[in-house]
Amino acid sequence: MSQEEFYIGWQDEMPLSNKQFIKRILIGIFILIPLFLMYVVLFQKPFNHHHFEFGTLTELTGIYHGDPYPILEVSDEDSTEFILLVGFGKFGAEEIIYDIQNEHGALLGEEVTFRGTLIYGDGVTLLELTDQEESFVSSKDKEVEPFEGLDNSESVSLTGEILDPKCYFGVMKPGEGKIHKSCAIRCISGGIPPVMRVLQDDGESYEYYLLKGKEEENINKEVLPYVAETISVSGISFYQNGWKVLKLDLESIERNK
Amino acid sequence: MSLNYTSVQWNKQKKGYDKILWLGIAFMLICFIGFQFLFHPEITAETIIIRATAITAFLLLHIILSIGPLARLNTKFLPLLYNRRHLGVSMFFIALIHGVFSIIQFHALGDINAVVSVFTSNQHYQEISEFPFQTLGFFALLILFLMAATSHDFWLNNLSPKIWKTLHMGVYVVYGLLVLHVALGALQYEDHLVDWVFLLGGFIAILSLHLVTGIKENRRLQKDRDLLKKDGFYEVCLISDIPESCAKTIFLEGENIAIFKYDGRLSAVNNVCKHQMGPLGEGRIVDGCITCPWHGYQYKPEDGKAPPPFTEKLKTYQLKVLDGKVWVNPDPNEEGTYIEPVKLEDA
Ligand code: HEM
Ligand code: FES
Repeated sequence: MSQEEFYIGWQDEMPLSNKQFIKRILIGIFILIPLFLMYVVLFQKPFNHHHFEFGTLTELTGIYHGDPYPILEVSDEDSTEFILLVGFGKFGAEEIIYDIQNEHGALLGEEVTFRGTLIYGDGVTLLELTDQEESFVSSKDKEVEPFEGLDNSESVSLTGEILDPKCYFGVMKPGEGKIHKSCAIRCISGGIPPVMRVLQDDGESYEYYLLKGKEEENINKEVLPYVAETISVSGISFYQNGWKVLKLDLESIERNK
Repeated sequence: MSLNYTSVQWNKQKKGYDKILWLGIAFMLICFIGFQFLFHPEITAETIIIRATAITAFLLLHIILSIGPLARLNTKFLPLLYNRRHLGVSMFFIALIHGVFSIIQFHALGDINAVVSVFTSNQHYQEISEFPFQTLGFFALLILFLMAATSHDFWLNNLSPKIWKTLHMGVYVVYGLLVLHVALGALQYEDHLVDWVFLLGGFIAILSLHLVTGIKENRRLQKDRDLLKKDGFYEVCLISDIPESCAKTIFLEGENIAIFKYDGRLSAVNNVCKHQMGPLGEGRIVDGCITCPWHGYQYKPEDGKAPPPFTEKLKTYQLKVLDGKVWVNPDPNEEGTYIEPVKLEDA
């Protein structure tokens, strides 16, 4: 052993045998690392193709509805979209709309122009009121008859995941599940409407329900313990301003473990 | 060289070490980002940053934890150990990017303080699969910060090597926290078997390396226990069992002793380096001084004192030679006490 070269870190050169050994180890590491990373990335759960037009502001004009949540009904010749409004960051739009109405008068049923950032995916569009109250551009009296709603309500039992639509429909990837759970809780706590995502019988497409309480009150705080995990619920579902709404019976919530 | 805590200086090897280290880190990040763009082009920039830094830091941690036992099993790994703390500090900075970006991404711009949100958003603390895994990462990062902040030899001297070493054993707590952070976080979402194989594979590899080293060490201690004892001296080995310029180590009555043979003489000192408690007995005599295998601290064998201007001192022990056999008295002499080396021609 004594004849063997002895390594001392503070010497300028290390013994040749050490050098060759370390070189071999390093080459091994440099080959194994890309292989390892490739497997990790290859088997990563794929992301959805939803979009967030970060940095691009768009002006949209349409009829403003306050129920079940702030929604803008935007029509062109051949289609109508019901665009859910959300706030900047992890906040809903309701307080912003409240401030705008204080300054510019009631918006309900009027033709309103907002400027914001588009979020869209899976047939759903949202507009982030990026500049808060400054997102309001103009409004015009339209005197649209308030929509009474067809009597299309039915009792349903559903199984799915409560998520925040802002992140899910484009701002974050992933915007669902365990990794994103805390963020979804923050967003819903901040007033972004809770959405229940329900997998359909075909095993690949989803239905989305905006959640309200039994009396159509907001239940953002009440659903926080159930966000981002699979739960079963029952309630009354109906169709309003382009969205399915679920009047959720809070007592019916069951966590599927 | 006037300040005694700056004795591990910058040198060519250290610079080479850092160069390869940062090249390796850049290589990992680039590979990961490249594969993401190849296989998942719809990924967002934030997710790339969060994941690339997480995986790189976690991989580095595995390397950091392997170096210790590997260097005990095969001294050829020692060059990796020499500058291990730069590896640790680099790992901390990369993990810091991951932690800060995760907190901003998932908790900032909300209705409560982002750091408070890490602890209060998900409150399923009593569950396993829904457990708020971010909190585990948070504490791991905190410990890493303490270790990185005290990594300089200045702190080693101020805190005393024992406390410093204890603090830096925190790396095992960090590792445990992070295995759980990944298992209860990312792997509750990613449901592919491959991820579990990698995570558990890494854990088993680290565990077995430490077990093998521990068992080897233990076996050595076991052997030392039933030695012949006379007049306070224990019979250790034959003179010929000790290779020239090397040591025989032995653990007696709570004393960890290294007996060195050099230039036809024998001297015994405490086996634990005053720097970071490295195993002096696995070092050599270089230029007449015991030289620590870890960072090259030196001590004179006859009195255990580091050559001036350094001030470290080791305990020394009485030796004698009878019939070609080495005997040692484990009753230690005060640090730096001169003891006449046993001349082998006389014996
Ligand atoms: C404040 C502290 C921390 C927070 C808030 C945090 C948060 C997170 C989050 C949210 C994820 C899931 C991200 C995703 O997969 O998209 C994650 C994954 C991960 N974290 Fe942390 N973390 C922290 C500290 C750490 C530290 C110190 C490490 C050390 C290396 C670490 C290692 C990892 C690893 C390896 C993953 C899995 C990577 C992946 O999903 O691709 N984390 N962390
Ligand atoms: S030189 Fe660092 S432990 Fe001995």
